[in-house]
Amino acid sequence: MTLQDTVERISRKLESKGITSDPQIIEAKLKRYINEFSVPLTEAERSVMNEFARDYGIDNVISGPSETKKITDLKAGDWATIEGKVVSLSGSNHPSIAQSGIIADETGPIKFVIWVKGPQKRVELDKYYCIESAIVDEYKGALSLKMHSGTTIVPVENDISYIPSFTQIQELKPGVHSVKVKLVQEWEVNHDRMLQTGLIADESGPIKFVIWKEAGAEPLKPDIVYGIYYATVDEYNERLSINISGCMITPLNEEFSPITSRDTTVEGVIVQVSTGSGLVKRCPVEGCKRVLSRQNYCPVHEYQPDFVYDLRIKGWLDDGIKAYDLLVKRKGVEAFTGITLDAAKETAETSPLGMDELYYQIKEKMLGRYVTCTGFLIEGRMVTEQCHPISLKTGDKALMLVELQEGKE
Amino acid sequence: MMENGRFQRQYVREPARRVFAAEFRDADHQMRGDEKDEKSPTYVLLPTGELCNRIFIVGTLTEKQKQGEQNVIYRARISDPTGTFFIMAGSYQPEAMAQIAKIEPPNFVAVVGKPNVYERDDGQKFVSVRAESVTIVDKETRDLWILETARRTLDRIKGSGQNQDLAANHYRRDPKTYKQMVQEALISL
Repeated sequence: MTLQDTVERISRKLESKGITSDPQIIEAKLKRYINEFSVPLTEAERSVMNEFARDYGIDNVISGPSETKKITDLKAGDWATIEGKVVSLSGSNHPSIAQSGIIADETGPIKFVIWVKGPQKRVELDKYYCIESAIVDEYKGALSLKMHSGTTIVPVENDISYIPSFTQIQELKPGVHSVKVKLVQEWEVNHDRMLQTGLIADESGPIKFVIWKEAGAEPLKPDIVYGIYYATVDEYNERLSINISGCMITPLNEEFSPITSRDTTVEGVIVQVSTGSGLVKRCPVEGCKRVLSRQNYCPVHEYQPDFVYDLRIKGWLDDGIKAYDLLVKRKGVEAFTGITLDAAKETAETSPLGMDELYYQIKEKMLGRYVTCTGFLIEGRMVTEQCHPISLKTGDKALMLVELQEGKE
Repeated sequence: MMENGRFQRQYVREPARRVFAAEFRDADHQMRGDEKDEKSPTYVLLPTGELCNRIFIVGTLTEKQKQGEQNVIYRARISDPTGTFFIMAGSYQPEAMAQIAKIEPPNFVAVVGKPNVYERDDGQKFVSVRAESVTIVDKETRDLWILETARRTLDRIKGSGQNQDLAANHYRRDPKTYKQMVQEALISL
C-alpha cells in the first residue's frame, strides 16, 4: 500500500459522502503523521479519516483500511478486503450494476457486484485482484460482496489455481458451490428463456437445477458425471435449487450411483378422501395444469373446452401419531384401485352421476384402508405415485405376545 | 413437486388414535387442549394416557338404528374382540349418515370419528363416537387394525409423560387390565 493509494481511498470515502476534498491536503495531513510523528501508514489513515469525519460531521465511515480476510471467514455486514481470482463473470442485468460474477480464493467462492456508482475499475475473468474495503451483504441466506465507491480494486500478480472443492448436495446452502453430479430427471421447460430443468443428483441426494438460455449454454446429458463449478444455490419456499447457467461444466471420468430422490415411506390409513379426488379435468395450457371447475373454467386461463383428464386422490394419510396431507397421482391411483384413466373416462361419460361416480368408486376402494405410500414428503405433505395396500405380517402378533409374556415375569 | 395454485396453509390435522373398545369404554374424561381458550379442540383422555380428538376403529357393524323424524340420527354398534363402540351420525355428518344407511349388518367397517363423553340423567358418563366416515372393509383390514391397535396400546402402556401422569391420576387403573385386553385381542386373530 502506498501513500498515494491511501490518499485516493480517503478522498473516495469523502466523495461517497458528498464531500469534495483536495488530495494535496489529505497527503499533507498523512505526511505529517508519518514523517513528523513516525506513525505507521494505516494508523495515519485512521487518524486523518477520523479528523475529516469530525470536521464534516459524518459518521458510518470506516476510518482505516479493512482487514484482509479469507472468503470463508466473511460474515454479513463485514467491511472486508480479500484477494482472489475472478472465476465467473456474468455482466450486468440491472442499470445500477456495472459487473457481477464470482470471485474465489483457496477457501471458497463468493458472489460479487460492482455498482455503476462504485469503483471505476472493471475486472476480467481469470485475473487476480485485491478487493479493498468491500461490503459483505446477505440476501436470502447467501452472502455477496458489494463494491461501492469506497472500494478499490487492485490487480495482483498471481498464478495459483484454486481447486474448488465439491459440496455434497445434501450439505448445500444458499450461496456459490461446486458440485459433482449426474442428470437424473428432466422436467418440461415452462419458460421461454429456460433451456433445461429437472433434477441433478450425487451420492447424497438430488436438487432441482435450471439452465437459462444464453450464448454457449448447453443442456446436460444423462449418464455422465459432471463437475459443475461455482453454481448459485437459491432458496425458495424452503426448497433449494441450483442455477448452473454460465457455469464451467466439465464431464469427469468418474462413475457413481446418484440417489435419485429423497423418497420417504409412510405407512398408515387413508382416513379421508376429499372432494376433488377421482377424475379431474386439467387446464391444457402449457405449464398450467390447474384443475378446472365443473364449467371447464381455469382460474387463470378461463374457459378451456379442450381440457386434459387426470386421476388423483386428495386426502389424509394417518398413522395414529400424525396425519399427513396426501396427494396420490395418477399412476398411484391406477395401481391401487385398478381403475385406469381410460376406464375412468368411460365411466364418467356413461354414468348418470358423471365424474362424481369416480369419486364414490375410488373413495369406497381407498377410505379406511391400510396403505404404504412412498414419495416426496415436505412439511407434512406427501406427494406420491406409489401407494400400495399393506399386507398382514403375522410375525408382529407373535412378537407382541412374547412382549406381553415377558412383562409378566 | 408442489401443485400449482395450491393454497399453502399451516393446518395441522388431529391424528386418529387407535384404541380398543374395552379401553375406550372406560374413558370418561374430556378436556380442552387449552382450558383458557374456548375455541381449543376437546380431547378425550384414554386410560393408557393419550389425548384423542379423533379415533380410527375397524370392527363389525352389528346393529344400526334410525332415530327421529325431522332430525334423523343414525346410531350403530361396532364390535371388536374386546367390546363395543357406540357410534352416531346426524345431519351434521351427512356423509357418514348416508354410509350407515346403506350398510347392512353384519359387515366389517372402518370408522373415523370424533369421541365425546356424555353424562346421562342418572349422572353416569358414557363415551361415543360421532362418525365422520364409515366404509365397508375386508377382514384383512380388520386384522391389520387389531395388530396396529395392539402395538399402539402397548406403546402407550410402556410410555411416560404428561398424559400418562394425567391418566394415572384420573383413572387409577392397574395397567395389567389393558395388557390383558391387548392379549385377548391378539389371541382372537
